[in-house]
Amino acid sequence: MTEPIRVVVVDDHAIFRSGLKADLDERIEVVAEAATVEQAIAAIHEQRPAVVLLDVHLPGGRGGGGAEVVAGCAALLGETKFLALSVSDSAEDVVTVIRAGARGYVTKTVSGAEISDAVQRVAGGDAAFSPRLAGFVLDAFGTAAVANVDDELDKLSARELEVMRLIARGYQYKEVAKELFISIKTVETHVSSVLRKLQLSSRHELTRWAVDRRIL
Amino acid sequence: MREPLIRSTEDRIIAGVCAGLSRHLNVSVGIVRVGMVALALAGGAGVLLYIWLWLLVPTAADEALAAERAFNPRDIAENFARGFGASGAFRDGTEQAGTPPLRPVSQPLPQPGTPAPNVEGTGTRRLLQRGGKEILIGAALVLAGGAVVAQIAGINLPWGTWLPVLAIAAGAVIAWMQLDDSRRSGLMDRAGATGAQGAVRLLAGLVLVVAGIVTMVSGSITWEAMWPTLFASLAVLAGVLLVLAPWVLKYWRDLETERSGRIRETERAEIAAHLHDSVLQTLALIQNRAGSEQDVTRLARAQERELREWLYRDKRQEEGNLVDRVKAVAAEIEDAYGHPVDVVAVGDAEMSDRHEVLVHATREAVQNAAKHAGGSISVYVECTPGRSEVFVRDRGPGFELASVPPDRMGVRESLIGRMERHGGQARIRNTGSGTEVHLSLEHPQEGTAS
Repeated sequence: MTEPIRVVVVDDHAIFRSGLKADLDERIEVVAEAATVEQAIAAIHEQRPAVVLLDVHLPGGRGGGGAEVVAGCAALLGETKFLALSVSDSAEDVVTVIRAGARGYVTKTVSGAEISDAVQRVAGGDAAFSPRLAGFVLDAFGTAAVANVDDELDKLSARELEVMRLIARGYQYKEVAKELFISIKTVETHVSSVLRKLQLSSRHELTRWAVDRRIL
Repeated sequence: MREPLIRSTEDRIIAGVCAGLSRHLNVSVGIVRVGMVALALAGGAGVLLYIWLWLLVPTAADEALAAERAFNPRDIAENFARGFGASGAFRDGTEQAGTPPLRPVSQPLPQPGTPAPNVEGTGTRRLLQRGGKEILIGAALVLAGGAVVAQIAGINLPWGTWLPVLAIAAGAVIAWMQLDDSRRSGLMDRAGATGAQGAVRLLAGLVLVVAGIVTMVSGSITWEAMWPTLFASLAVLAGVLLVLAPWVLKYWRDLETERSGRIRETERAEIAAHLHDSVLQTLALIQNRAGSEQDVTRLARAQERELREWLYRDKRQEEGNLVDRVKAVAAEIEDAYGHPVDVVAVGDAEMSDRHEVLVHATREAVQNAAKHAGGSISVYVECTPGRSEVFVRDRGPGFELASVPPDRMGVRESLIGRMERHGGQARIRNTGSGTEVHLSLEHPQEGTAS
């Protein structure tokens, strides 16, 4: 915990970038900023940061915004984690960037401390879920699902459902852990596994849910 | 004032020229028609005049379309005034920030394009309904009958010449009617709905005209000479088409570009009007109230919510369903107390009397949280078939139900009592870092709308 986490901030609004920089705590060091898709991809390749704070809507590129940046840095996904940051609530935006490879999603209105926590979590290889993202997951995977071996990717386990529900209800990770009498590490494992399912699942229902919302 | 010269779409036999002319000249239709027929008999002058007027005089629908084209989407103020009656209240009010911006959502801007197509579409249909077709057929039969009578009476009609001429005229009329119709609705609209009908009409017209011409010509040349001639004319026609095709294509593309440009303009105008009504007003208000942090936050939240609703509204989500109602409740309390209330919803349910109770209880719970806890409040709604649940969580100091004095009616009566009376459940618990109210309602027979 001595080394600060190296972060690249990608957002097309200079005001927001400087505000965010001021809000992030001392555990985090902003090494570069970018305002467009091209700038972002260049800066990430040059700096190799641990975490990229990525706005979902970005100018430039082929119009793909944040998802395009993630796709453009696919080779670095092992060492660089992406945390999506957006004012948008729409399922399209959120799920698109998550499925592109982002490790989490937070809304821009949350406090600097919360964003710092999320950065920390993502840098540690875990996933950062906001209540709304948990809501989307529950909406997409259904609320009554228990995995058996065959559709392991396509449904959430009972425990994962519980964790998602609590996050959707506004619980933080440590509160979830306390509520379910498990360790924070276990909560993080569950959330990461949900994220993996969200990214990899090609389940019929998920596809249909996405098509309904013009995501895929 | 004299009526403008416009072809009538209602009272017409062929193209509404006579009716339009009569209205313009303020003379009875009958007189105009008789005059037209008389002129037609005088060496065909009437026919020429009629065709000329048909081509040059617009219909009422054409006029409407032209007026619509003249509609300038950039003139927001005027269009805006058209769309909204009074918007002054918002400017004076300070506490109403939440309510007026909601108006455009529930009451979308009237789209300038919508009324016109209705008018256009009914023209032909109305003619058909009034038996215009029968009248046309009747007129043709009367003419034919007259001709036969004349033949019997001994007047020798040159059938060989007249029949082809009639065929050509009929074909041209059919084809022109088609053009007339389609031109009115901008050529493109009909492609989907009545395209097949239009093609049939065009084909019928073409066949009639070609057959007429061939018959006419075959009178003067032998059949043997006919085929090479036909071939040669076809070749010439193909050549002309080849030359004209690029022009037609270009014209077509221009038309399309113009149309899509117009649609974009309209959309842009709608967005501009919306932003003007909500965002700009709120920004002005925020500048006025810059001194009060709470007011500014409240205004910003209300505006954010409204804009979000407008931009990201889930299209599948029905208005007036449970989630919608809970969101409305959350918005109301957020406005009243200035604490952010975030709603996350999974699924949705149609409203029933018992859901109404659930919404009331939710309001009570959110209000308690805003009053006693403050800070941000999370509301989570989950609807599965047969069950609706609402969680309201705050991060306040928390309270124990046991410690609430029995005379305090709020929680006990309006939350627990009310839910239980309607077969639901309300549980309040202290999570250690705030209070969570859990409301649930089982409704085995009712389906969900998710």
